[in-house]
Amino acid sequence: MRRVNHILFGILIGVSVLSCGEKTTQDNEKLKSASWEEIQDNAEGTIVNFMMWQGSTAINDYINNYVVPSVKKKFNIDLQISGGQGPEIVQLVMGEKQADIEQGQVDMVWINGETFFQLRKIEGLWGPFVGLLPNASFINFEDSFISTDFQQAVNGMEAPWSINQFAIVYDSEKLPSPPKSIPELEKFIREHPGTFTISNDFTGMTLLKSFMAELGGGPNALNGSFDEDKYNQLSEKLWDFINNNKQYFWKEGSTFPKEQSKMNQLYANGELLIAYGFSEGGIEDKVLTGLYPKSTKGYAWENGTIRNSNYLGILHNAPQKAGAMQVINFLLSPEAQLKKADANGMDSNTVLSMEKLEPEWKEKFLDARKRQYGPTLKQLEVNAIAEPAPEYMIRLYEDFRKKVIEN
Amino acid sequence: MKIKKSNVSILLFVLIGVVPFAAAFIYALLYSFGVIGVANNGFTLQFWESVLASGIFFKSFLYSFIIALTAVTISVGGALWITLKFKKQLEKRFLSFIIYLPLAIPGVVTGFFTLQLFSKGGFFARISHKFGLITKASEFPDLVNDGLAFGILLSFVTMVMPFFVLLFLNVYKNERVEELSVLAQSLGANPNQIALRVFLPILIKKTWVLIVLYFIFLLGAYEVPLILGQESPQMLSVLIIQEIKQYDLDKISEGYVVAVLYTLIVSAAAIVLFLPKRKSAYAN
Amino acid sequence: MRINWKSFVLSLAVLLILFPFIYLVFLSLASEWRFPEVWPSYLGFKNWVTVFGSETGLLESFFSSLLISLSVAVFSTASGFLISKAVFYHPKKRILTLLAYFPYILAPVVFAACLSFFFLKMGLFGNMTGVVVAQFIIAFPYALLFFSSFWNAKVKSYEDLVATLGGNKWQTYTKVLLPLAKGLILICFFQTFLISWFEYGLTSIIGIGKVQTLTIKVFLFIKEANYYYGALSCCLLIFPPVVLLYFNKRYVFKKLV
Repeated sequence: MRRVNHILFGILIGVSVLSCGEKTTQDNEKLKSASWEEIQDNAEGTIVNFMMWQGSTAINDYINNYVVPSVKKKFNIDLQISGGQGPEIVQLVMGEKQADIEQGQVDMVWINGETFFQLRKIEGLWGPFVGLLPNASFINFEDSFISTDFQQAVNGMEAPWSINQFAIVYDSEKLPSPPKSIPELEKFIREHPGTFTISNDFTGMTLLKSFMAELGGGPNALNGSFDEDKYNQLSEKLWDFINNNKQYFWKEGSTFPKEQSKMNQLYANGELLIAYGFSEGGIEDKVLTGLYPKSTKGYAWENGTIRNSNYLGILHNAPQKAGAMQVINFLLSPEAQLKKADANGMDSNTVLSMEKLEPEWKEKFLDARKRQYGPTLKQLEVNAIAEPAPEYMIRLYEDFRKKVIEN
Repeated sequence: MKIKKSNVSILLFVLIGVVPFAAAFIYALLYSFGVIGVANNGFTLQFWESVLASGIFFKSFLYSFIIALTAVTISVGGALWITLKFKKQLEKRFLSFIIYLPLAIPGVVTGFFTLQLFSKGGFFARISHKFGLITKASEFPDLVNDGLAFGILLSFVTMVMPFFVLLFLNVYKNERVEELSVLAQSLGANPNQIALRVFLPILIKKTWVLIVLYFIFLLGAYEVPLILGQESPQMLSVLIIQEIKQYDLDKISEGYVVAVLYTLIVSAAAIVLFLPKRKSAYAN
Repeated sequence: MRINWKSFVLSLAVLLILFPFIYLVFLSLASEWRFPEVWPSYLGFKNWVTVFGSETGLLESFFSSLLISLSVAVFSTASGFLISKAVFYHPKKRILTLLAYFPYILAPVVFAACLSFFFLKMGLFGNMTGVVVAQFIIAFPYALLFFSSFWNAKVKSYEDLVATLGGNKWQTYTKVLLPLAKGLILICFFQTFLISWFEYGLTSIIGIGKVQTLTIKVFLFIKEANYYYGALSCCLLIFPPVVLLYFNKRYVFKKLV
């Protein structure tokens, strides 16, 4: 056995000793000052790995049946998609950092504010790169909902891809006047016990953020950098509200759905009378595919629901940074953004500014197919509130588990 | 020449069978003490303290233990009963194929299927609605993602029981329980005595190692509780992965603490089970 | 009277066993099936056509699953058989067996979470090779332990006999050991194939979503709440083993002594 032990430790040490190297960093810096032609040359014929959330058929269809063939045809780029979001991306980057991997598994990622925050914290993103993309000139950076991500300036480290607002979803036939504030919600669940819940994921936590803003006294209550005292004070009120009414929640608050898709299903079955989600509720494709009844409608909370953008980033150890830039530039092109805005397709709002576009594109956007069921971004505009600092989200996750679920 | 060759085999065994396990364990151990990990800054007991203080591990362990024990008990009991009562019929051509079919269904599918049948919008809820037993989906009882883990238990039993039926039938034949029973009968034993004194002892004695192994497998089951479990308490594997993959980067080490504790417990079980001198398990 | 009671229970059992297969096929043909309808408003081949026509390579997943599982089954059965000989003839057999049980009983998903660093380090992360290696690591102890009962005194005496009669190593394997172990090898192949074919947690961690086996797809569809496609991928997942079972069933238990 002793000999076996020696071998074992030898191998272990051999594997875990970290090797160091800095040869690729120079090339990366060079790329930042390269011309777009040079970047295009470098991008030609590459294989680009894109890690994104794959939880929607409409999104998967847009990517697999439009984007992938388009970049292949236009730029000879093989775009490969893998499933993963927030924590998974951060985990991957952390793991690769720890193992000193210079050529990572993934080139580009689809992220939002709190992943942006975490990736910046561990220096996982490469950039700034947005300024290098020709199509970035069309982006509506004057809109603070686009240029600021969870109270952080984007600064060219991630490219906006879509903008959307959180909305509450209900069946207008079953529920003629849905609640629009916390007191109304309290009254509602007492009258209809078991028909409301909070999904223990990104979506549910976003709802809780807008509740916290309401408890804080107004739409802008959470603006600015993270404030520990404010968080403690407001979150306490929030947990009190939830725990006091827990018995009126779905399954008497003994458990909460793990994912929003599960909550959507509960809404579709009629178990829940109220659901909610980003993309103005994501109603259109669910009605069209027959999941939701046609009487489904969406609205914003009186005190406001969160409006934010989601972004595309390039990882610090991406093997194909030029290829990733080419793909991102394509995703920001009027053509790709228009296709993405199709109400019967991915149905997501463009980040391009109509004023900056060529007139013919502007017209095409105006002529694009409109939603039949869900509300538009414009309709929810008056009730839009900005994302608070990412720490709020991270703390809510933990405390929701500790103070509500495990309570 | 011969000795050398078997040494190569032993070396390969160590490389494939032992090194990965040892490496994984040491890695988890180091991570749990904050020695490695991008967000950690050196050795600390803080993660162990916070996991032990919160009781989260013990709660989850107890929960998993009870579920696994209940599922194994029901499965073994049911399988024994089926073997005792139906051994003759199950040898017929058609049935002898049918009873193998459940082996083709993995945990992922069992979980998915149970969800489809027993959720509040599922198959049985629809039927109950049709017959006027319920008027709204929410009136249907909680059978999946529920506090009593009914969905998980049902899935486990439907996955494990068929296996034990096949195993017992096989032992029954190979150990000549039939002949022994006839012998006991001719010596004046009644059917109950045969069942309790001949049938049961032989089958259990021949298979108990496997029964314990299945208990350990269920203790660490992942897919089924992931689909059918609730948010708290959670079964061990689900808890570990959730802690390791969480948003708060400073708390990842806590997941490794739970992983280390879990590994220690199942390893201790393996030592108790397999170290004493005895003939090897009946079958795998 | 007694026979009636038994045949009733048996028929019920047969129905219960067949029900999941029928229901999953049915669900894969359905669409727009809202509560509380007992019958779906659409029933047909729409899902199958879309999935095979355009939707994100389910067929590709099927073949990559097949490739992964076949590789894992071949490697683990072959190495399990060859290496188990040295292990179970070894004087320290008991300790070695115990060592093999450690990785065998650990939950694969936890194992993978703790191993992922080493896979990253070796460039085995997020690719098919990595998934095959990782699954091999959990299937190998199974295969090894599986052959433990084969290497007994009787087999040893056969080997000695061949040696006495002047046969060489090669002849011992091809003429004696392999024919003796044929049934066991088949079962082991089948079981390790299934271990790999059914594996989810470990694959999801080592494959980081880049290696999309069928089980990964099933979970993806469950997350999407797309139950019709989910049922469809379940069908792809369970029918190949049924076919294998049909041809293989007589081997699954019978030759074990």
